[in-house]
This record gives sequence, C-alpha cells and structure tokens, in this order.
Amino acid sequence: MVDFNALIAALWIVPSLAIIAMLAIRRPSWGEFLNLASALVVFGLTLTILVAAPNNAVVSADQYILITPLGAWVLFCVGVVYLLASIYAIGYMRLLPEERPRLHKFYALQAGFALTMLIAPLMNNPGIFWIAIDFTTIVSAFLVGFEREAECIEAAWKYLIVVSAGLALALLGIILFYWGGTFTLGPTYALTWENLRLTAPKVPEALLFFSFLLTLVGFGTKVGLAPMHTWLPDAHSEGPAPASAMLSGALLNIALLGIYRFLSIVDAGGYSLMSHTALLVLGVISLAVAGLFIVRQDGAKRMLAYSSLEHMGVLAMGFGFGGPIAFAGAMYHMINHSLTKSLMFFGAGNMMRAYESKSMSQMRRILRYYPFSGGVWLLGAVAITGAPPFGLFLSEITILRGGILSANPWAVWVMAVLLILIFTAFLNHFRRMIWGPEPEPGKEPTLKLSLWNILPMLLAFVPILVLGLWWPNGLWTFFQHAFAVAP
Amino acid sequence: MLIFHLGPLATSLFSLLAILALVLSFVMLGSHWLKNHVYAFAAESWVIAAISASIGYYGHYPELYIIAALSALFRGSLLPYLVLRLVKRLHINREFTPLLKPSSSMLLGAALVIFSYEVARQLGVSLHLTDNIAVLALTCMFSLKLIGFLMMILRSEAISHILGLLVIENGIFLGSQIIVPGMPALLELVIIFDLVTIVMAFGMLVRFLQSHAGTTSSRGLQKLVG
Amino acid sequence: MKDIFLQVAQVLTVLLLSPLLHGFIVKMEEKVQRGQGPSIFQPYWDLWKLFHKTQLVPETATWVFFWAPVVAFVAMMIVPMLIPVLTNFPLPLSDMGDILGGGLILTLGSFFILLAGLDTGQPFGGLGSSRAVMLGILAEPTLILVFVGITFLDHSMLPFVANHLLAQSPVAYWSPAHIFLVLAFIILLTVETDRLPIHSTIPYEIYMIDEARILEYSGPLLALLKWASWMKQFILYTIFLNVFLFPWGLSVSGDFGSVLLALLVILAKYGAVGLFMVMVDTVQSRLRFYRYQEPLALSFLFAVLAIVADQL
Repeated sequence: MVDFNALIAALWIVPSLAIIAMLAIRRPSWGEFLNLASALVVFGLTLTILVAAPNNAVVSADQYILITPLGAWVLFCVGVVYLLASIYAIGYMRLLPEERPRLHKFYALQAGFALTMLIAPLMNNPGIFWIAIDFTTIVSAFLVGFEREAECIEAAWKYLIVVSAGLALALLGIILFYWGGTFTLGPTYALTWENLRLTAPKVPEALLFFSFLLTLVGFGTKVGLAPMHTWLPDAHSEGPAPASAMLSGALLNIALLGIYRFLSIVDAGGYSLMSHTALLVLGVISLAVAGLFIVRQDGAKRMLAYSSLEHMGVLAMGFGFGGPIAFAGAMYHMINHSLTKSLMFFGAGNMMRAYESKSMSQMRRILRYYPFSGGVWLLGAVAITGAPPFGLFLSEITILRGGILSANPWAVWVMAVLLILIFTAFLNHFRRMIWGPEPEPGKEPTLKLSLWNILPMLLAFVPILVLGLWWPNGLWTFFQHAFAVAP
Repeated sequence: MLIFHLGPLATSLFSLLAILALVLSFVMLGSHWLKNHVYAFAAESWVIAAISASIGYYGHYPELYIIAALSALFRGSLLPYLVLRLVKRLHINREFTPLLKPSSSMLLGAALVIFSYEVARQLGVSLHLTDNIAVLALTCMFSLKLIGFLMMILRSEAISHILGLLVIENGIFLGSQIIVPGMPALLELVIIFDLVTIVMAFGMLVRFLQSHAGTTSSRGLQKLVG
Repeated sequence: MKDIFLQVAQVLTVLLLSPLLHGFIVKMEEKVQRGQGPSIFQPYWDLWKLFHKTQLVPETATWVFFWAPVVAFVAMMIVPMLIPVLTNFPLPLSDMGDILGGGLILTLGSFFILLAGLDTGQPFGGLGSSRAVMLGILAEPTLILVFVGITFLDHSMLPFVANHLLAQSPVAYWSPAHIFLVLAFIILLTVETDRLPIHSTIPYEIYMIDEARILEYSGPLLALLKWASWMKQFILYTIFLNVFLFPWGLSVSGDFGSVLLALLVILAKYGAVGLFMVMVDTVQSRLRFYRYQEPLALSFLFAVLAIVADQL
C-alpha cells in the first residue's frame, strides 16, 4: 500500500529545501546542481505517484489532498518538463554571462515555480486550487521578467495583470458554485470538488451555467484560450527559454485541469451539452487565432507561443467533445505536447543565442551551421504541427475520431482545416530558415552549443518518436480509468 | 440563501453598507486624483469589514469577526498604504490620458449598475429567492466587478490597473460575505493574504517598470505587438 | 371656502416671501465675507423702483419680448398651487398637475426666457441662452429622474403622498433611495438656483450664463423677470424641503394658527437652506466650462442609484 501522504510531502519538501539552500548559498554552480537534483527527485516522485495512482480518487490528509488519475497525469507532465528545463537551463544560462551574479535567484525562482505547480493539481478544495494557481502566476511573472529588459518587464506586467483579472472572474465563479450548493447542503459545508458534484443536480440551470461560464473564462485566461490569450505570446517569448518551456508545457495543463474539473461538475448537474459546446467554441477560436497569427510571424519564440495557443485549443476541443475517445486523445496530447514544446523551445533558445537575434529572418541556413541540433529542431517542428510518425499525430487523430462521435461534429471539419493551415504556415517558416537567404557576412553564428543544450532536446525527442509509433496498451487502459473516475 | 432571518433593521443596515461601498467605487471612477482613489478604496474596505462584522453578529458566525478585523487591517490599511507608497515614489498624481473623462465614466458605471441589477434580478427570479438582500448583494458584487474592469480598461496608468484589480476582489469579498457567510474561514483568510502578496509583487514590478521601461503608463508599453 | 383661501394664501406666500429669501441670502453672503450687505428688504425696494421706470424696448424686439416675462411670472404663480407650501393636505386645484407637471411648468417659464434672450438678436442674449440650454440638457434629465425616483419610492405622483410617507415612516426616510434622492436634488438645487460651482454673480458679460439672457430688459418687464427667478428659487426650496428633506412643520388642520406657525417654520427652514447655499457659494470656486458635467453626472448617478436601490 503506497503511502501517498509521504510521497506528496517529499514532493513538496524537496524543492523547498532546494530553494532555501540556493538562496543561502549564493554560488551559481551550486544553484545549477541543486536545481537539477531537485528536478530529478521530483521526476522520480511524480513517476511513482503516476504508477501507483489508484483507479479511483484518493482523498487524504484531512480532506485537503486529492489524487485522481488525471491529476497524477498532469503532475507527471510537470515533473517531466521540470527535469528537461532544469537540464537545459544549465546550458542556457551559461550563455548569459552577464546574469551570473543573479543566477542563484533564477534557479530558486525556477524551483519555486515548479513547487507551486506541484501543489495545484493535488488540491481537493477549489478555492485553494485557485490560490495555488494565483501563486504560480506571481512566481512565473518574476521568472518571465528575469532579464530586466524593457520588453521582458512589459511582458511580465501584462501577464500579471491580465491573468490576475481573469482569475478574479474565476474566483467569482467558484463563489457562485459554492452558493449553488448551499441550497441543498446548508450554509456551511466543506468546499470540495466532490461536494460540488453531489449538489449540482439540485442547482438551477441558470446559476450552474453562469458560474461555469465565469470559471471557464477565468481559468481560460490562465490557459490562454482566445480571446483571453493576449498575454500568452508576450510572456512565452520574452522569458528565458527554460522558463518558457515550463510555462508552456506544464502550467497550461494545470489550468486546463481546473476547467475540466468544473466541467465535470456541470455534467453531474445534467447540462453537459451547453458547457461542452462553450469549451469547444473557445477551442475553435483559439485554433483560428493561432493559425492566423502563425502565418505572419517573425519572432521564433513568439511563433512557438502561438503554437501553444493552438495546442491548448486542441486540448480544449478534446475535452469539449466529451466521450472516452476524445478524452484519451486529450490526455495523450498533454504529454506529447509537453515534450514537443519543450524540445521546440530549447531549440529556439539555442538558435536565438547563436544568431543573437529573436527574429527568424535572422536565423539563416541553420542546418549548415548546426546540423545536429538544427536537424532535431526541424524534426520537432514537423512533430509539433501534428505530422506522423510523432506522438502529436496520434493524439490529434484520436481527438478527431472522438469528435465525429460527439454532439458537435461540425467542429471536426474546422479543426482539420485549421490544423492543415498551421502545418503549412509553420513549416514555411522553417523552410525559410533552412533554404532561405544566406546570412550576412560577419553575422555567421560562431557559438558552440554544449552538451547541456543538446541533451534535453534529445531526451525530449526520443519519447515523442516512440510514443508516436506505439501507443502503449497500459496507457490506453489508464486513460479509460481516468475517464470513468471523477477528475 | 440566507438561512437566518433578518429583521428590517438588519436588512436596512446591510443594504446601506453595501450601497455605500458601491458609491465609494464611484468616487474612484469620478475623481481625478490617484490619491483619492486609494482613500476611497481604503474606505470601501472598511465598509466591507463592517458588513462582515454585522453578518457575524446577526448570523452568529463568530469567525467572521476575526475575518472582519483582518480584512480591515490588511485590506483597509496595509494595502492602501502600500499603494500610496508606490504613488508617492512614482510621482504620479493623476491619470493623464484616460480614455474617458471622469464624468462620462461615472455615467458608464451607472449603466453597468443597471445591467448588473438586471442580471441579479434574473438570477433571483430563477432561484425563487424570497429576500431582496441576496439580489442586492449580487447586484453590488457584479457592479463592483464591472466597475473594476471599467477602471482597468479605461485607464492607462499601472496604479489604476492595480486599483481596478483590488476593486474586483473587493466586490467578490462583499458578495461572498452576504450570500455565503458560512464559507470556510480558511479560504477567506488565505485570500486576504494572497491579496497582500499580489500587491507586493505588483509593487516590485512597477518599480522595475519605472526603472527599466521608463514609464508605467500602458501607452508607453507598446513594444510587443503581433 | 377655507381651502380656497388657503390655496390663494399659498400663492401669495410664494409671491411675497421670495424677494425676502433672496435678500436674506445676499445679505448673509456679504456678512460671511466681512461686509455689511444691503438690507434684507432691498429686493422689495428694487421691485418698486423698477415698476416705476420707463420701459425701453429694443427695435428688433417682437411679441416674445413682451410676453416672455409675463409667461414666466404666471408659470411661477401656478406651481405653488400644486405643491405643499403651507399645508400637507391637497387643496382644491392641487390635482391640476402632479410633481412632474410642476416640474414641466417650471421649465416652461425658463424656456420662454430663453426665447426672450434670443429674440432681440443681440450677441449676449444668444450667448446666455445657449449656455443655459446646455446646462438644461445636463440638468433636466436628472431632474426628471429624481421625480421618477420619488414616484417609485411612494408609489404615487402627488407630492403630498411623498410628504406623508417621509414624515411618518423613518424606514422610508432613512432608506438609501431617499438619501440618494436628497443628494441628487441638492446638486440640482445649486445649479438651478444660480449658485457656484456653475453660476456666479460676476458682472462681466462674457462669464454670465443666466443674467446674460435678460440684459436687454428694463423697467417693469425686468421686475417681472427678476421676481420670477426669485419665485423659482423659492419654489425649488419648497419642493426640496417639503417633499424631500424636511416634510414636517406644515399645517395639518388648516386653521389660522397652524398656518401662521407654518409660515414661521418656513422662515426658519428656508433660512437654514439659504445659509447652506451661502456656504456652498463661499467655499467653492467656479468650475471651468468642460467640467460642468461633473457635478451633474454625479447627481445623475445618485438618481440612478436611488432608482436601483428602490427596487431592492
């Protein structure tokens, strides 16, 4: 019998200790390795929790902690991205010698960010879930603005304001959900996901739907669904590359988990069609906006940020279609997206440091100067747009299959067309980077990329290839269990 | 639904306090000077603390006294003090380029109050509420939220954005005190401390804005487009 | 019979006491500013003087020039029949018009004076009229909303019902709706009775708003116009005090003693409001033109909030 309390306690204590140690010992090299060590331990612990995750929800620690299959899966994604980003951060931050005195703060912030992300999926109380997400916002805002340039601070400011405003809406939604429950459970009862699900059938439709819309828009701002996505391109492109990878690959999943949990409450109330359609519409709009902005994009990381918007739209559609097939596709999509997006951000970070520019028009003939890492990056681009034989292709096809069976099959056609558009636009940019004009004389890249920069790319690439060729049966049954159990 | 029965005196006390909070938010909309905005926010937080205390008294929720005291202390004194310190440090006295004049934004705020009242009334009708105090609480909650968003939209100064956010949180707190007074106190405590953390984070970021980006007005922070 | 006498007495009260109110306010303003001020009966001597002067008429004047002061004066005499001045029970002919009708008749008088300002074709008249109209655009909707608010509060359009309700029920008196209506009306009162921060008594024509409309007048017509504006001030105070703020002190039975008592209470109440207006004039400075909307937007807001608060 696995003691989840001990596992979770260890999960939280290890990064906390690392943070305290890093802030006490101000040497950068200590910071690097402390962060890496805590990332390794966290990865191991999240893997253990995932493997040992029961087939039904477990509530422990005086009703405050909740472990469900979906929550364990999201936690595992966090662990994976944290590990990859920590390895990459060592290489990346070594390329920024001017930041060396402050480096321990960066690693402390990164560990702190991971810690806040590890708290949120485990919370049984929606209010504390909200607070944990608020804390992730604050810590990641400082991470985004780490380099203290004008654009970084502007991006961090925009991120903090827009997401806080959205989260305030979500808080209102939570309070209205609680109010709906007081009609049956009395004025004081424990605010947990299960209680809200129990009382949902008795709550009048107007109030339930209203509260759900508020939480959808509120947490949708955090996920970055259009039209609340305005902070996403700035924050993901201006932060340092490891931070962008963590933001894109880990944080957005957690907020989407929140939306899905509220969606299940409305489903328990019996009004699933409207809520699923609302989520679906937001997903479609996100795909459309992402597609249009990718076509004319110049910044490398900005384009990847819009690609995050696209994939969050796909995930929202996966959850919005409903049904076990689309749900399984969405869960598979989560891990694939985390891996692929991390790969892409690492590659973009490498290229940005090499060519000393953020814009893709300056990154020329990347295969000639960096055959290996540029090649892996190119394959990652093929992966992230959903082409076979990579994992994202399998998950997107599964979502489309689930969509045809759902109540909103029109969205399948829209999704297919938009995915093709994004594929074309994305690879067009890469075509220009590989076979485009020659770099200007005197501006050829001379940077040598170290092992720390390339290893995480490989570590992310191999699983995508494997998962794209082989969907393990164990994962399939795990997803079925996750669908049957409340999220 | 309010399980405890309110006498007419309690009802008028609550409605008076809730509407006073709403009027103070209009002071924020209508005034030219940032300092007045902060003072109005402080007064509003004290009024909401008074609402908490009276709900604790009439509904026999003793933990609400503690929450009232804490929210008066943190929301009503500490937060305005922090924001005032920011205002003094940044030497910003007024909103220089608002999109709408104060009088027009007050009119827009009045329209928003009517809209929130209509939404609250429809909710009340569909829920078969018998007492008006819940509809009033919902109206004030939605109006404060919408007015907070209005402040964030129409103004370009960073301080105004912070204040708009704080007004939204105030509105949520006001509504939650009246319609769900039994909500676990732990949640409300943590929300209060969360706010303090947010404001401190904002304070740091605004100082960075001033020193690195050179301006705190969003008119000047338009480098990232596309 | 007694009722008809009371109704005539109401009109006479307004007619005869309004110059006294104006004189009182002027003298108090001077006293506050450490001057001596004219006697409080000075407006009566002014009227007497003007009635004995020759009437000068510009060449470009038409019939509007002659009839506008008459219409204004008569309108101001009609309104006291509709509102509670001395008694708190309706008198015969009080149901000729309700509170909205009273407000509209007041506006009719102002409208004719506006036309008179435009009539002669002189620039200052047009200046005054256009500025007064702009203020009217800002203030009249609020006035109507205030009346609508009080109608919602007492479920009737007669001012007497409002008077009874507010005098007898402290819950209604201290309800947020009523407080907001009082605040809204105070701001409107300062605008309509020519107080700062919008109007001021500057003798320079370029800054005048209301006085510019009547620059062309002289002699008896000017006397009628001045009297009409004093009566308007008195009537607005009446509505404010007897319907909104201080509904007590009116005669309940209608016999002679209580009417005398009501007169004395009138002197006291109006004197108090007059002192408040003096304070308003002294502590403020004039707003710039583009900021006129601010106090009026505030009063509009209060009226809207009163109506919303009343539904709850």
